[in-house]
Amino acid sequence: MATPVLDNPLRAGLRIGRTPEPCTMVIFGASGDLTSRKLVPALYNLARERRLPGGFSVVGFARRDWSDDYFRDLLREAVNANSRSGPVDPELWASFAQGIQYHRGSFDEADAYTSLAERLAAIDAERGTGGNRVFYLATPPDAYPTIVAQLGAHGLAHSNGWTRIIIEKPFGHDLASAQALNAEVLSVFREDQVYRIDHYLGKETVQNILIFRFANGIFEPIWNRSHIDHVQITVAETIGVEDRGGYYDTSGALRDMIQNHLMQLLCLVAMEPPSLYDADAVRDEKVKVLRAVRPLSVNDTVRGQYGPGSANGLPVRGYREEKGVSPASQTETYVALKLFIDNWRWAGVPFYLRSGKRLPRRVSEIAIQFKAAPTMIFADTPLNDLDPNVLAIKIQPDEGISLKFSSKTPGQPQIRPVTMDFRYGASFGVTSPEAYERLLLDCMLGDGTLFTRRDEVETSWALLTPILQAWAEGPPQPFPNYEAGSWGPAAADEFIARDGRSWRRL
Amino acid sequence: MSEAAIDINAIERELRQMWQEQATHPDAGGQAVIRALTLNLIVRAPDDGWAEQALAVAPALTAQHPNRTVIVIDRPGPATELQANAQALCTLANAGRTQVCGEQVTISARGAPAGQLASLVLPLLVPDLPVVLWAPGPQPFAQPLVQRLYRLCDRLIVDSTTFADPLRELAELAAFEQTANGAPAVSDLGWTRLTSWRELTAQFFDTRPFLPHLHRIDEIVIEYAAGNRPNPVAALLFVGWLASCLKWTPLEDAVGIEGETIQIYLRRPAVGVGPAAIRLVSVAIRPVDRAGVEGLARLALRAVDNQQAEFVVELTSDAGHACTRATIAGAHPIERTATIDRPALADLLNSELRLLSRDRTFAAALHLAGGLARRLALP
Repeated sequence: MATPVLDNPLRAGLRIGRTPEPCTMVIFGASGDLTSRKLVPALYNLARERRLPGGFSVVGFARRDWSDDYFRDLLREAVNANSRSGPVDPELWASFAQGIQYHRGSFDEADAYTSLAERLAAIDAERGTGGNRVFYLATPPDAYPTIVAQLGAHGLAHSNGWTRIIIEKPFGHDLASAQALNAEVLSVFREDQVYRIDHYLGKETVQNILIFRFANGIFEPIWNRSHIDHVQITVAETIGVEDRGGYYDTSGALRDMIQNHLMQLLCLVAMEPPSLYDADAVRDEKVKVLRAVRPLSVNDTVRGQYGPGSANGLPVRGYREEKGVSPASQTETYVALKLFIDNWRWAGVPFYLRSGKRLPRRVSEIAIQFKAAPTMIFADTPLNDLDPNVLAIKIQPDEGISLKFSSKTPGQPQIRPVTMDFRYGASFGVTSPEAYERLLLDCMLGDGTLFTRRDEVETSWALLTPILQAWAEGPPQPFPNYEAGSWGPAAADEFIARDGRSWRRL
Repeated sequence: MSEAAIDINAIERELRQMWQEQATHPDAGGQAVIRALTLNLIVRAPDDGWAEQALAVAPALTAQHPNRTVIVIDRPGPATELQANAQALCTLANAGRTQVCGEQVTISARGAPAGQLASLVLPLLVPDLPVVLWAPGPQPFAQPLVQRLYRLCDRLIVDSTTFADPLRELAELAAFEQTANGAPAVSDLGWTRLTSWRELTAQFFDTRPFLPHLHRIDEIVIEYAAGNRPNPVAALLFVGWLASCLKWTPLEDAVGIEGETIQIYLRRPAVGVGPAAIRLVSVAIRPVDRAGVEGLARLALRAVDNQQAEFVVELTSDAGHACTRATIAGAHPIERTATIDRPALADLLNSELRLLSRDRTFAAALHLAGGLARRLALP
């Protein structure tokens, strides 16, 4: 039975949003990197900004034999090192740390879940968390099914409050595995309890894509095939595989970046206006975009793998020399692809996506290139010399939006492109919250808008799985084919040049 | 000085020239400079001290709301005196980042008629941008310059903590806000200072099991830090806020001062009985000695009949944090320590400049608090 939602009459007109009801967040894999680098700093900053209720509690679940105090000290160090607000405020930390406990157990050990259930009941009684729980799976993906099954077997998937589960990427490694994982998770939890996290969606600039498109009247009328020549989405990283070589070698850029982050950006930039800003309305529109994508062909993709080169002026290893990577690896560290969305808005407009490691700059952006002016009336200035208008939505590092247009050079009969720049940093003198802060809070408030729904994940895998298969069955590639610190393989430039276009210089 | 002493065009020319110089001679850091203006801010400073404060907060305001600030030092005096000067103000940026700059014009006047000052201020406003008038200090509504300018403004900002006769001026503020009806929108920095207290109070009741207690509150005790001039305006606004959110109405004539304590009774709808039933909420507002603290120091909301519940927010002894505590029917109290902002003047202004229209929550709270203040101020 649905409980009537009672509104807090003191909320009206307050300048910050709701705080969630008191709850306990159980982090599986609490001894891992994600917990100390992202999750706990994000939770601490939420507490610091008074966005968490009194009574909010954290239980870290991991195998190591640690005490509560040791775990708290470790997390305090982690927050000191990783929080955007700098070292902890001792009094505030003391109050926050009171709610932190450590629960020792291995993921497949039934007793550990029995005692977890008891511990959660004790916290409910002591700290007034009323049976509200978030389970956060911050473990390697092969542990997900075990944990989910154990939670179900011990009656932890439902309580007298609400229970939600957050699942980190990667969500499957192809269509079949994603469907299997969904089936396992959904045999224990309902879809509305499941929050598949893609931290890209928590970034302020990514959220701003929707605001920019649907809160302004002047862009939407030209946001279609009549005015747009093509769209480029770039997510470039300067880092290599770091210490994730073993994992990455089984994954590759298509699975690691394109399937989640770039497809999400594609959806946001191409979707129709949702009827309201609500979790299902927004996600319905995103799925419609994915469903309208024309099936991809291998000929519309380019793969690359970096060889030795340099980064930041220092020599760096090639991919095959990285730790954990096979010396004959065929894993791609760069992907470029072209796709079409076969609907009324986008028919015939190519979308070029590219993502790679060890590229010269860390930059993520979406560039909308508009069609050129139809005729050239200015003598001495051949039409093909004119730059088309480009609207660039920069996601990182310099968050902002810029519009390139042509202007007369003062005193000379020449036309030059100039840009009109909006930068987050300059227009709003406040630092943006970390993506995880926003997403953890949304989950606790029960808002799934910025999380990925089952059909989104599966539709996206359905598009890309044939490519993965064709690559696996095709002939070996002449890898490495680009130097670390360059903008990817020459084949990628030729690929886009065949359409008479070129990649943006970033 | 004569009345023709100030040439508006010269000020504009001077500003234009500054931008051109910035563009052709980037400063030593090699930084690009952009002019960004999002609003006009007129400061009516009653004396040099306020003008200095306005100058001091300008960099922080530029960072969030690049603006053209026109500071008018409106001193009384027998002899008429008028001077003006202009400068561009840039926020400090990291090397390589773009610097954002706003503009400032200072008009220093003594004994000048309001009409003359207004004739200088108006042509200096940048067209098509919102105009905000900040009038710090006591008696803002009695100032001829404010009276002359407020109709042209989108927002008027005053500060009830600087009122000389707090109760009477609070009643005036409430009357003004109601007449203005959003044109201009009115802000009180004293209200802005309450934001953290309101948040912390409201947060208790985001927890669903606590929410029913909010409708059964019987007693409220508010303590505010008082120096040599007690100013209960913040506490009254807080009561006004609770009462307007919870549909409590003041009981006629049941408002009084006993010693230093203000005692108020309000009617609230009774819970669980017939629709016409009412109950009383008693409110006590008293000053306490807290060195180094401004505004509220502690507040307690209590429900006494049936199931007892108490919700307390209080400053910690070092006043750097707030401790919140919810105790329901004698169960183990749920406590936490939270940050509590002791915002600087610039933060308060920034937060008000972010608002574009009338703050209806404030208007409702002010209306109620103004009514209480009017009764308290009666001889």
